[in-house]
Amino acid sequence: MEENTIRKIKWFWSWQDEQEEAWLRNMSQKGWHLSSVGLPCIYRFRAGEQRDYVYRLDYQTFPKKDKQEYQQLFRDAGWEHIVEISAWQYFRKEVKEGEAPEIFTDVESKVTKYKRVLAFLAFFVVILIAPLPAIWGDPPYSWSYSLWIILRVISLLAMGVFMYAIIKIMLRIRQLRKL
Amino acid sequence: MLREDTSKYLPLTESTYYIMLTLVKPLHGYAVMQKIEEISNGTVKVGPGTLYGAFTSLEKEELIVKVKEEERRKSYVLTPKGKKVLMNQIKRLEMMTRNGLSVIDLL
Repeated sequence: MEENTIRKIKWFWSWQDEQEEAWLRNMSQKGWHLSSVGLPCIYRFRAGEQRDYVYRLDYQTFPKKDKQEYQQLFRDAGWEHIVEISAWQYFRKEVKEGEAPEIFTDVESKVTKYKRVLAFLAFFVVILIAPLPAIWGDPPYSWSYSLWIILRVISLLAMGVFMYAIIKIMLRIRQLRKL
Repeated sequence: MLREDTSKYLPLTESTYYIMLTLVKPLHGYAVMQKIEEISNGTVKVGPGTLYGAFTSLEKEELIVKVKEEERRKSYVLTPKGKKVLMNQIKRLEMMTRNGLSVIDLL
């Protein structure tokens, strides 16, 4: 790896996007600017001058043609698109006159963003629920019973995580609406 | 023609209201943002995330329609249905203002 880049591994849950944004801003203030994000949760930073960049995350999936329009709109408004990773769109813009710029300027559009995340999580829960009846039956002929138990535990754990994420995001939406 | 019920769209959020106001003539996204800031004397700012979301849902509800595309910038304009929704919103706001002004001396 080049000398002027560093790699950091940090985990953020999908309801912690604001913490993630704050962390990235803090890195830029120290002179480390986000250059890419890779799975699983690997952040690459390039060394540069210390700058007060604000980072904002959107959650969007779309066909390629719409993506160009989307990115152009942000570019026109002075936002640099850094990377897209599993539908999360990372943008940054430098703070001018002390006012942190926003990509979402009202509560409703912020709520809509979290609803898009919710739709994705709900889709996964459905995928995880579908094979449950089969998993709760007898194991296939050649499978050992312990392997079967492990499969059950994993699928339940995965579902638990997704359910927890859904609840967390719903609470986040409620909190936003109360503001 | 079937009479469409536009009341389900009301009241519009402040951002959506201003976005629709600017789209009485075809305009692309960035121009919409600038125009809103200008006509609201800087009191209303619409970020690109909010604007993109509004474009998507307004287009889906057929309140606006794409009319032009150049260099990745798409222009939109109100549809007849969109105009009707905006008209009803303006009437509502007018009544709200009139009612407000009638008690303003007591404040």
